[in-house]
Amino acid sequence: MFRFSIALCSLVAAALLIFVSDQVSADGVATLRGEAVLNGQNEAPRMMPFINNDIREARNYPEQPPVIPHKTDGYIVDLNSNKCLSCHARSRTGESQAPMVSITHFMDREGQFRASVSPRRYFCNQCHVSQREVKPLVGNDFVDVDTLLLNRAKQQ
Amino acid sequence: MLNFIRKYWQVLARPSTSIGLGVLTLGGFVAGVIFWGGFNTALEVTNTETFCTGCHEMRDNVFAELQTTIHFTNRSGVRATCPDCHVPHEWTQKIARKMQASKEVWGHLFGTIDTREKFQDKRIDLAIHEWTRLKANDSLECRNCHSDESMDITRQSVRAADAHERFLFTGEKTCIDCHKGIAHRLPDMSQVPGWQ
Amino acid sequence: MTHKTPISRRDAIKIKAAAVAATAAGISGGASAANLVTDAEETELKWSKAPCRFCGTGCSVMVATKDERVVATHGDVLSEVNRGLNCVKGYFLSKILYGRDRLTQPLLRKTNGVYDKNGEFTPVSWDEAFDTMAEKFKKTLKEKGPTAIGMFGSGQWTVWEGYAASKLMKAGFRSNNIDPNARHCMASAVGGFMRTFGIDEPMGCYDDMEHADAFVLWGSNMAEMHPILWTRVTDRRLSAPHVKVAVLSTYEHRCFDLADIPMVFSPQTDLAILNYIANHIIQTGRVNKDFVGKHVNFRRGNDDIGYGLRPDHPREKDAKNRTKAGGSSEMTFEEFADFVKDYTLDRAHELSGVPKNRLEALAELYADPDTKVTSFWTMGFNQHTRGVWCNNLVYNIHLLTGKISEPGNSPFSLTGQPSACGTAREVGTFSHRLPADLVVAKKEHRDIAEKIWKLPEGTIPPKPGYHAVLQNRMLRDGKINAYWIQVNNNLQAAANMNEETYPGYRNPDNFIVVSDAYPTVTAQAADLILPTAMWVEKEGAYGNAERRTQLWHELVPAPGESKSDLWQLVEFSKRFKIEEVWSEELLAKKPEYRGKTLYDVLYRNGQVDAFPNSEITGGYANHEAEDFGFYIQKGLFEEYATFGRGHGHDLAPFETYHEIRGLRWPVVNGKETKWRFREGEDPYVTPGSEVEFYGHKDGRARIFALPYEPAAESPDEEYDFWLCTGRVLEHWHSGSMTQRVPELFKAFPDAVCFIHPEDAREQGLRRGDAVRIVSRRGEIQTRVETRGRNKPPKGLVFVPWFDASQLINKVTLDATDPISKQTDYKKCAVKLVKA
Repeated sequence: MFRFSIALCSLVAAALLIFVSDQVSADGVATLRGEAVLNGQNEAPRMMPFINNDIREARNYPEQPPVIPHKTDGYIVDLNSNKCLSCHARSRTGESQAPMVSITHFMDREGQFRASVSPRRYFCNQCHVSQREVKPLVGNDFVDVDTLLLNRAKQQ
Repeated sequence: MLNFIRKYWQVLARPSTSIGLGVLTLGGFVAGVIFWGGFNTALEVTNTETFCTGCHEMRDNVFAELQTTIHFTNRSGVRATCPDCHVPHEWTQKIARKMQASKEVWGHLFGTIDTREKFQDKRIDLAIHEWTRLKANDSLECRNCHSDESMDITRQSVRAADAHERFLFTGEKTCIDCHKGIAHRLPDMSQVPGWQ
Repeated sequence: MTHKTPISRRDAIKIKAAAVAATAAGISGGASAANLVTDAEETELKWSKAPCRFCGTGCSVMVATKDERVVATHGDVLSEVNRGLNCVKGYFLSKILYGRDRLTQPLLRKTNGVYDKNGEFTPVSWDEAFDTMAEKFKKTLKEKGPTAIGMFGSGQWTVWEGYAASKLMKAGFRSNNIDPNARHCMASAVGGFMRTFGIDEPMGCYDDMEHADAFVLWGSNMAEMHPILWTRVTDRRLSAPHVKVAVLSTYEHRCFDLADIPMVFSPQTDLAILNYIANHIIQTGRVNKDFVGKHVNFRRGNDDIGYGLRPDHPREKDAKNRTKAGGSSEMTFEEFADFVKDYTLDRAHELSGVPKNRLEALAELYADPDTKVTSFWTMGFNQHTRGVWCNNLVYNIHLLTGKISEPGNSPFSLTGQPSACGTAREVGTFSHRLPADLVVAKKEHRDIAEKIWKLPEGTIPPKPGYHAVLQNRMLRDGKINAYWIQVNNNLQAAANMNEETYPGYRNPDNFIVVSDAYPTVTAQAADLILPTAMWVEKEGAYGNAERRTQLWHELVPAPGESKSDLWQLVEFSKRFKIEEVWSEELLAKKPEYRGKTLYDVLYRNGQVDAFPNSEITGGYANHEAEDFGFYIQKGLFEEYATFGRGHGHDLAPFETYHEIRGLRWPVVNGKETKWRFREGEDPYVTPGSEVEFYGHKDGRARIFALPYEPAAESPDEEYDFWLCTGRVLEHWHSGSMTQRVPELFKAFPDAVCFIHPEDAREQGLRRGDAVRIVSRRGEIQTRVETRGRNKPPKGLVFVPWFDASQLINKVTLDATDPISKQTDYKKCAVKLVKA
């Protein structure tokens, strides 16, 4: 009986909630859920492939690590090997024509340049990420400093 | 023992007195077919993924690793099984590879690589075998599927197209030079050329 | 032309890309002579330091501003923590402020111009927002009293925001129903520290990483969740080849790439492995008898303590020690040795599924007296129905061997949030705590707080308030009716959303306020949304996992009408006359407070308002100080600091923190403490004692005998998979900031279900298939991922929780550790159904 009444209650509650959530979805606050009401469920978006066109994206500021303009799935970086360095290591770039890892990567914790890439930079994907072929859910109004200076000049 | 062999040889060497030559020849032929067929069938059985992954050394290490790679699942659904890459199609080479494989069976029976740790320790040797073989045969098993002629580099990423144009089509490098570790994890690569 | 060189191909692409970009930007190439701005005045950037907004590592970043906007960020080379490095999230901090849908004005649900629980969000003024809110709070206080109001805060509050909130709730409204989201995150770690050492937070520090010979990760995916600490572990492991890394987890993740001893264990059996190691140390005669004899006591903890579910749940009813979960009794070393004797190598192997040789290798790292071991753990231990036990058990093995409180020998609990330590724990914004490890249940502790706060005796209620999970249950049951949520996204975070959180927030009896910078799902479920300043839009202070306190200045103004949480809390207090919230009896003890507001009593008490705005560092704005007319952040900080000074939690003077990259408390005579409890390092240790665990009165730490007990919910025939949830590198928590940075979004746009390829095949699922993840409580739809960074074993799936469109907390179980009240997000039973 108790169980039944719980079930009944939750049915009623669910019905009420659907009513309420219709209000929620039409309430003028757009979240990252898109159309789905809070207690409803979207269809999960397709898994999209990684951008693989090798066209470098401009950085937002010089200190930003570049995003990877190619796919890296299946690239193994572990105790035994570092697939990224097989192209991006200094000695490999002649053959691979890939950009060399930045000079900063040779600096150890003490700020000294070492003979090879510092082990603290070993796991490349902690800073560098591939990008999937998806559109951002919301725009971002970050303005880079060049545009800021240009706007300044225009205003003067 | 020696005596027994001598006697046996004498029986075999003595001309037949009761069976006709035709029967004898035919019998020999049939036996040969059966024997040869059986051998090849047995050989083919060992050429399946089921056989390869029958022992846990292969199933839990290399096969487990293969399953997350493009040679196991991909857009066109053409997949490579173990023998596609690891057993030459040409007969003499196949037999040579099979002879080598008997050592692997030995390894299984005597537990040379029966733990992940032992396998990891041995991985560099096993990998070098395969790399050396593929280097020597100009990556033949790769090329069984991926031939130069059939490769349309306009359908590749710029990076891949560049590399194939510069190194593959000119014959400067062979597949395995660049594509180590695409189907399995790699051993310690610190001494391997091309990996700094 | 028969052969194009690769260079020309590449260049062609680059030229094409550049042309596209130039057209898009409206720039005609070559029109102006100079394409480089060289004017020094123009190119000068103002660089200021700030701790990173995200995890508990507490990296320092340098922030460049120009024309009141953040234009760049990078890792601070002067910071001991990160020495110039950031992870990918940290490098994109510049963009988290600028998501296009920032909230810029208060929004109240209205129909036909009046508040309506089912109305549409309508822009209102701050006055109207606070009027409505005050009315609801006053009505609730009047009708049901202080236990019917509540607040849910955060380990992402700044130190003074948490402090101001705690004061407002515990002293002002006299309600202990304030809890931080750190309850979901660190409560078991706190429980472990308090039980074993009697004082919260790690004894060691990050310097341990450069000294250790071995690292053991117990349920911590540092490679993704503490990336910069992982760079230090990686640096140590690869620079010094003798170093070993052991990684334990219920699924394979990125840390396994560095593992010498990788171990995937069956969920919940970490308890058995921990006891096996203790047993191994004892059986092989490697107990550090001298250390144990001088510094340790043994206790038998209560077992069969339940699972923190609602009291009518069968698993709760059956639990013998449900109401005495934290209880324990004395025992001897011999009794302890006898207790762990059952945890043999065979048994640990059978339970956990980890190969014996690896278990032995792991145990040897601890047992070998010449190997300095640092143990790390995060949510794998803490989000565990036996989380406090796990913490206790790992201390056991460090204490048995004396491997503690010295460089490299360190049981190290890592924090998840940027100020889980600094704000939630040190300030004590939990429902049972007060600043500096004081608790509301103890009269002498309340006395101290009331004295510092200049309040009449008896102001702070003695009964602990509702903790995080209980708050949601009480909202649903209508026991809490006025509720304020700041700096967190609990509708997306709290487990069992369908049955508890959502019905609680939408309960017609309740008024829910959410302060946030962005429209989160929690905001969507609220009745009033307050637009909130974030990170460097206000002056702030965070405390990281190694006890390091770090301050920052306001660097840019907040957009629109957004206000900081601090401003909101203090401004709201102006709307309450003391007579409206205190009883006549209490007021009689302080008649001079009659007619005053909570603002006067709490924040204009001669302490919080003791410092003039002239003390604000030149060149930096401070909107709160400007509005209130005094340097409120400094006042709150200094008043708060009086709790800990002289009591093992000493902080340096306020200004010091603005000048340097943080200090690790206790800071005594200007010197920080790297290793607590160790003579020569920690000024609180009695000379001659070498090591002193002064958190307990007898100066000894406790070793607890605690058994292996099963999980709250395990897979069965119908729900045949374990579900483990967690984070990913690219997104912080619920993704409300990082999902709005295009580069981070594109790196990991949607949640997926990581599953073993053979499990997928057996379930008839392909990679990329839509799949429903169904539990007894709810379901979501996601996509199948058989590759990628996480490789679960057969029988377990992993789903991250950052994705607002796939709320995995509809599926998770709200079972908690009965001692810490922290939810176990790592274990529940689900089935997979092809969608």
